Amino acid sequence: MIAYPLGLEAWLSLTSASPGDDGKFVGLANYRYVLGQEIYRQVLQNTLVYTGASTLFKAALGVLMALALNRDFRGRRLVYALCFLPFIFPASVGTAAWYYLLSNVHGAFNYALLSAHLINSQIPFLGQDPGPMISVVTVNVWHGTALFGILCLAGLRSIPKDLLDAAATDGATAVQRFLRVQLPQLRAPLLLAGILSIVGNFGDFPIVFLLTGGGPLGKTDIVSVYAFENALRAGDLGVGAAIALSIVPFYLIVLLVAFRLIGARAR
Amino acid sequence: MGRIARPVFLALLLCFSLVPFWWMVVASFKRGDEQLTIGNPWWFEGFDSGGYRGLFADGVFRDWMLNTLLVLVATVVISVVASVLAAYALAYLRVPYARGVVLVFFATYLVPQGVLFLPLVREMARLHLLNSPLALIATFPSLVIPFGTWVLWSFFRSLPSDLVDHARLEGASTLNVLTGLLLPLASPALAAVGLFAIAIVFNDFLYSFTLIQSQQQTTLMAGVGLLSTDLGETGPIFAAVLVGVAPIALACAFFADSYAKGLGTGVID
Repeated sequence: MIAYPLGLEAWLSLTSASPGDDGKFVGLANYRYVLGQEIYRQVLQNTLVYTGASTLFKAALGVLMALALNRDFRGRRLVYALCFLPFIFPASVGTAAWYYLLSNVHGAFNYALLSAHLINSQIPFLGQDPGPMISVVTVNVWHGTALFGILCLAGLRSIPKDLLDAAATDGATAVQRFLRVQLPQLRAPLLLAGILSIVGNFGDFPIVFLLTGGGPLGKTDIVSVYAFENALRAGDLGVGAAIALSIVPFYLIVLLVAFRLIGARAR
Repeated sequence: MGRIARPVFLALLLCFSLVPFWWMVVASFKRGDEQLTIGNPWWFEGFDSGGYRGLFADGVFRDWMLNTLLVLVATVVISVVASVLAAYALAYLRVPYARGVVLVFFATYLVPQGVLFLPLVREMARLHLLNSPLALIATFPSLVIPFGTWVLWSFFRSLPSDLVDHARLEGASTLNVLTGLLLPLASPALAAVGLFAIAIVFNDFLYSFTLIQSQQQTTLMAGVGLLSTDLGETGPIFAAVLVGVAPIALACAFFADSYAKGLGTGVID
């Protein structure tokens, strides 16, 4: 289910196939065409920025979420579930709601800001640089923070309470306890969540597609959206496949860096 | 975190998490065109329950909701059954290179969706499954089963190794061993697999959107992509979401711990 499509995709990327036609073998022409496109570099850069920024914010917020939930209080079960809800809720539907929140045509945020007289004219959250990139990252963070949160929480729970108490009696401050005792326990969950987030972001489609459609002028265009436009909108499967596959080396580098960064001292 | 920082942070995090849900609830009670052009998008102005009543009549939004539930149930059932059988085989029937097989299974998760969707669209076209929920029912389990097998395999291996041998010696059949002994023990792992399957179905957009282009046959998740964003149909579609999808998502949200445990299984060891 994985190897066969990958092989087929490699073959497609060397042909002039369209959805209804097998096409002819064209060698590396598709790759030459793609790499020669001005926008391709922008797409690559967008994909890296989108992935990097989202993953970092999700990791930071997720660690805070785990720390905040790592103690019993009234209503904890409900708060925990509601924090996890955006992750299990359909991303596409959530993004559609965010679209109407952020829209500059009677969008809910603009409506609130205008009503409170905080702004005089609508803010083009989705229209003007750097608004669109910030918006897609925000929605991604909304959707994905909980994965970091729940995995880090499981990591924190595995720390024996005696250990933290002992550190406290020895006079370690809360920050020291976090850095020395808790953070090392978070390496494995952060690595796992980080990898899942990178895989997800590189393949992410609904958030960007539904929020900005890659616009304005390709400012938020990422690989999956770009491949989709070329392959299914423009009907050039070969070019789409070449776009999708050309990202793999970059993807592997990002994955390796993530492994190194977080995994280095895990063992 | 301190006594003040914790509640403040959690309150802010909850606002961030829940803001789109509040908007959806309000939007579902408005007439479609109203939400987008006039009125307060944060509050109800005259309840219009038309979106909800429409779910009991024939209509495209009801179709989307029913398709969503069909795909969801089929994916969960197929994935759980197949994962249990595969994990049992790998754990208890001497399969050569079992550990390697499971590792390769896990590695498949490292292939991003954006890289794989094009060949799949083509294959489904060849099988004449495009534009049918069957295309999704064929695709989603293939994304769940490797993970499900991995989790259940790790779980079976964590049990005492002579447990199954003893049961077999006492004359229990494979089916008896599975249903009477292993599955009750494995309920947390099964919950994790079920949750993972639901998360796959709910969070997919790329496959549903590219494999199904017919309005009638699609799911709510892909349906929101078909609505052009300035089309005034927000009321009915979010009513369908709040009836068909949100309760399931909310119920699943209470099992976050099982999900975390399931994901952590095997990776941490």
